[in-house]
Amino acid sequence: MSPSRTTDPAGARAARRPRPVKAGHVFVAGYVILLAAFGVLPTAYGIYYAFTSTGNTFAGLSNFASAARDFRYLPAVGHVALYLVIWLTFLVLFVTGLSVVLQQLPVRRIARVARFLYYIPGALAGAAGVLVWLFMLDPTVSPAAAFLRFLGYGTFGQVIEPGHLSIRLPMIAFWTGAGGWIVVMGGALNTIPTELIEAARIDGAAGWSIARRIQIPMIRKWIVYMVILAFAGGTQLFVEPQLISAASLGVAGRDYSLTQLSYDLAFQNNNVNYASAISVELLVVSLVVAALFVTRSRFFDAS
Amino acid sequence: MPPKNSVVHARNRARPSFSRSILAFGAAALMAAAISACSGGSSGSGSAVKDGFTQATQSAGPLTVWVDSTRVPAAQAYQKAHPNVKLNIVTYDGDANGADTLQTKVDLYDRTGSGWPDVVFSATDNETSWGVSAGFLAPLNEGLIPQATLSNFATGSLNPCTVNGKVYCLRNDLSQVVLWYNASLMKQWGYQVPTTWPQYEQLGETVAKQHPGYLVGNAGDTFTPEIYMWASQCQANDVTGLRTVTVNVTSPDCTRMASLLDTLIKAGSMSKLSVFSTAFDKNEKGKVLMLPGPAWFGGAVFDSTSGLNVPKGQVAAAPVPQWPGTSTPSTGNVGGGTWLLSAHSAHLKEAVSFISWVTGNNAWQDELTPGFPAYVPAAKVWLANQAKSGYYAVNIDPVLQQAAGEVWPGWGYGKFSQESIWAATIDPGLTAGKTIVSMLPAWQTAITNFATSDGYQVSP
Amino acid sequence: MQADIDAPAAVPAAAPARLRPKSRRLPSPARATGELLIGLVLVGFVVFFILPVVWLLLAATKTDPQLVSSSPLSFGSWHALRHNWDTLTSFQGDTILLWLRNSTLQASVALAITLVAGIPAGYALAMTEFRGRRALLVTTLVVMLMPTTTLVIPLFLELNAVHLIGTIWSVVLPYSFYPFGVYLTYIYFSTALPRDLLDAARIDGCTEFGAFRRIALPLAAPVVALVGFFSFVANWTNYFLPYVMLPSSNDYPVQVGIGLLLTDVPQFNPTAGTAAVLRPELALAILIAITPVFVVFLFSQRFLISGLLSGSTKG
Repeated sequence: MSPSRTTDPAGARAARRPRPVKAGHVFVAGYVILLAAFGVLPTAYGIYYAFTSTGNTFAGLSNFASAARDFRYLPAVGHVALYLVIWLTFLVLFVTGLSVVLQQLPVRRIARVARFLYYIPGALAGAAGVLVWLFMLDPTVSPAAAFLRFLGYGTFGQVIEPGHLSIRLPMIAFWTGAGGWIVVMGGALNTIPTELIEAARIDGAAGWSIARRIQIPMIRKWIVYMVILAFAGGTQLFVEPQLISAASLGVAGRDYSLTQLSYDLAFQNNNVNYASAISVELLVVSLVVAALFVTRSRFFDAS
Repeated sequence: MPPKNSVVHARNRARPSFSRSILAFGAAALMAAAISACSGGSSGSGSAVKDGFTQATQSAGPLTVWVDSTRVPAAQAYQKAHPNVKLNIVTYDGDANGADTLQTKVDLYDRTGSGWPDVVFSATDNETSWGVSAGFLAPLNEGLIPQATLSNFATGSLNPCTVNGKVYCLRNDLSQVVLWYNASLMKQWGYQVPTTWPQYEQLGETVAKQHPGYLVGNAGDTFTPEIYMWASQCQANDVTGLRTVTVNVTSPDCTRMASLLDTLIKAGSMSKLSVFSTAFDKNEKGKVLMLPGPAWFGGAVFDSTSGLNVPKGQVAAAPVPQWPGTSTPSTGNVGGGTWLLSAHSAHLKEAVSFISWVTGNNAWQDELTPGFPAYVPAAKVWLANQAKSGYYAVNIDPVLQQAAGEVWPGWGYGKFSQESIWAATIDPGLTAGKTIVSMLPAWQTAITNFATSDGYQVSP
Repeated sequence: MQADIDAPAAVPAAAPARLRPKSRRLPSPARATGELLIGLVLVGFVVFFILPVVWLLLAATKTDPQLVSSSPLSFGSWHALRHNWDTLTSFQGDTILLWLRNSTLQASVALAITLVAGIPAGYALAMTEFRGRRALLVTTLVVMLMPTTTLVIPLFLELNAVHLIGTIWSVVLPYSFYPFGVYLTYIYFSTALPRDLLDAARIDGCTEFGAFRRIALPLAAPVVALVGFFSFVANWTNYFLPYVMLPSSNDYPVQVGIGLLLTDVPQFNPTAGTAAVLRPELALAILIAITPVFVVFLFSQRFLISGLLSGSTKG
């Protein structure tokens, strides 16, 4: 029972209101410097590139139009859209579900071990994953060979056929990314006071209804955060197709996503303006979705 | 949990804050413009035009050399032979496998005006396609390197380096295509080594019937077009200028080779797998009768424990078959590296000395290099060493030397990678069971698309 | 949904009535099958996540031909493991150990700066009011969503303008900017730290700094561990930034080093020749590269779970 709930003279309350301006500013000072130098400045520069062409002349929307006319652009948009749908579904469903299940396990130790095991692939990002997936997806040498052959694949080439990438890529992304989010959600779930859950249990609520009525609503902000970042990360799909492309020596996964195209335009064609145009498009889409979620869930409220 | 009024408080502050965000970005943009004005690509000050290009002010200092891991021994050997020279050896990925490391980094250095290496080894042959217009590559035949040295390179080996008559790099090694075969098996079954492609096709069909499971070739690699299409004089990559290319893959030169490949794939004596794939490794050991392929197949595929691991005395090489009626014999080429000299270098004398030594020096080239040297005198010594090893069934020197001079000049070195295009366009179709002939129009479209997006003018 | 969030504030006796349990007591066999199903799902996911890693562990114990021909989950030999280790460390003279040292240095220094700058910032964003608070949140989110491909060139130019290219600061400083961590801290403090505590402290005459140090910080162990861990891993596994910023392979972190090793594997680059790195050696290198991540994870997991706030909501 805190004093603020008792009747308090208005005067005392006014006096008690902290002088937040100075203290708050000091607290964020270090971060603001880093934000300005390594966040805002490069981002502004990137946006600047998108609206100018070589020689720093203003180019309006022409970079956007030219980038969209590239023969790889439209297929990439389709790929990314499909990837997003599958990836977000996997992620939200399984991460939330697994986190809740783990949290409700009676034996805490099992939950800790499971979280650790789920997390391990997260360390195999990037170049480290190339060798692993090259072998995992090859029915000749994979430990999951029986499973692959059951699905009808005889060679590596068949497993990575272009049509199948829409499932393979979210799977690889989930494999590397889910563990981290499960850890975050685990931490989030632990902030829910246990009395709530005990009280519900006493009243006979079982696992699923506890999850549905108490846990998930209370970690709503975390889920929104995860969705926003997963959406943005999904639009910026890069690592997974790049990995498949390296493993297959270019047979699959090359120029699959918009970010790969942006990267090619920037560094192979020296066209940083087209590349930035694509980046700005991705930024705008992510911002719109983020804004939607943020306003609907009152994400920025200081409570 | 917090009382509701703090939520109301926070919401009331919404409006001013967004304008603050805009201010923040605006200020940042101004700063950005300022930085871009301040930094900037200034070329070397006090430069002079000499040896055909604007040279930076020369100074003393360490020579920065970028090499891939395989060429590190070369740089170290040079250091050992020249203890007074200060070398700064940097290992990088060699631009292998389509990585654009060199171009990416040079672009960044161009923007800041400093940081370029002096000498670079590249595992690809097409650095001239961007390096000349970027002003990164120094012309070598306008005074830096004597013509006598340049003429000692194998015929056609400097083609990837030559733009408008100027030579912008030195070729490290050749990868001329020859017809590798298993001499013991050929003798055992009484086959003759084919000298024409129709003979080759016939032999392939015979082998498929008489000895099913044995291979006469392989069509599943990303460099397959550089073996078969190039040798067949297919006009898929006729780079005619710095930004012009002629692409015509539906001509008879291409279609007849494509249909040969299709026939043998259907018959079963040509594989659709890559020679470096695990499936090939596992299933094809001891099953390779013939294999058209580049010079480095000998060490990398046949004489390797990670490859076919064929015992000593069985493998031999013959010239690649020809189409009847071809006036000049032609063969393909798969790779080969180049040594580049930076036009921004402040240590040109040392750089030239380095680059001449690593390409021409026998001591390094024949002992430590895996590939067939492009510099002819070094190649002779390399061949002699290969013969000493006694791995091959016959003396393959004359075959390799002859093929070195027969690489067809009609296949150029563009910015776009033919290997990537084939891999992304043809290989998935092959896996799905399509014929190469049916995919030729798609191949044409793909090459045209990539070339155009790289700034090429494509003529059919 | 808002009602559900605010209701728990009036926790004590009100909860049972609000939740209106349906008194669904499942019969025992159904409950048992439910639990069995959950167990199977958990184990299934363990297999999904771990199988490739087990393969990797075993791959390091094989020779290259064994990797292809023997059963995927069979153990190779200690001799082969030893041989792989020797060859790997002799690659350009112990370079892999140098790379590990670089990674550790870069990740740790950046981690320290991240925590010092980020934890107070997240706290302030969540728990204090000041002008520009919302702007900061919005700006951070926008910057987090910007694709990083096009940030590379501006970053390079920026760092070049202050002559930091080629030094360790060219990677450490950008690493230290970790908005994801600030947001995690923000969400954590805003959902897990009750304002009552801070209000009480302020009434008692505590300054903001005092409140932060005496109340928030001790309760912040889970989020410090969380942010610290994620920051470390993000820095450790970052490839593109050091690839661009660091010119010499001696300065590479281990992640970029692995990329370099990959180009020396004959199956990826047939002209690798005498410097060939065989696949089991690469597997061993990868295992070495990821081990520190697990050490840090296990270390921080203790703090992650221990910070239950069950004690702090009681007035």
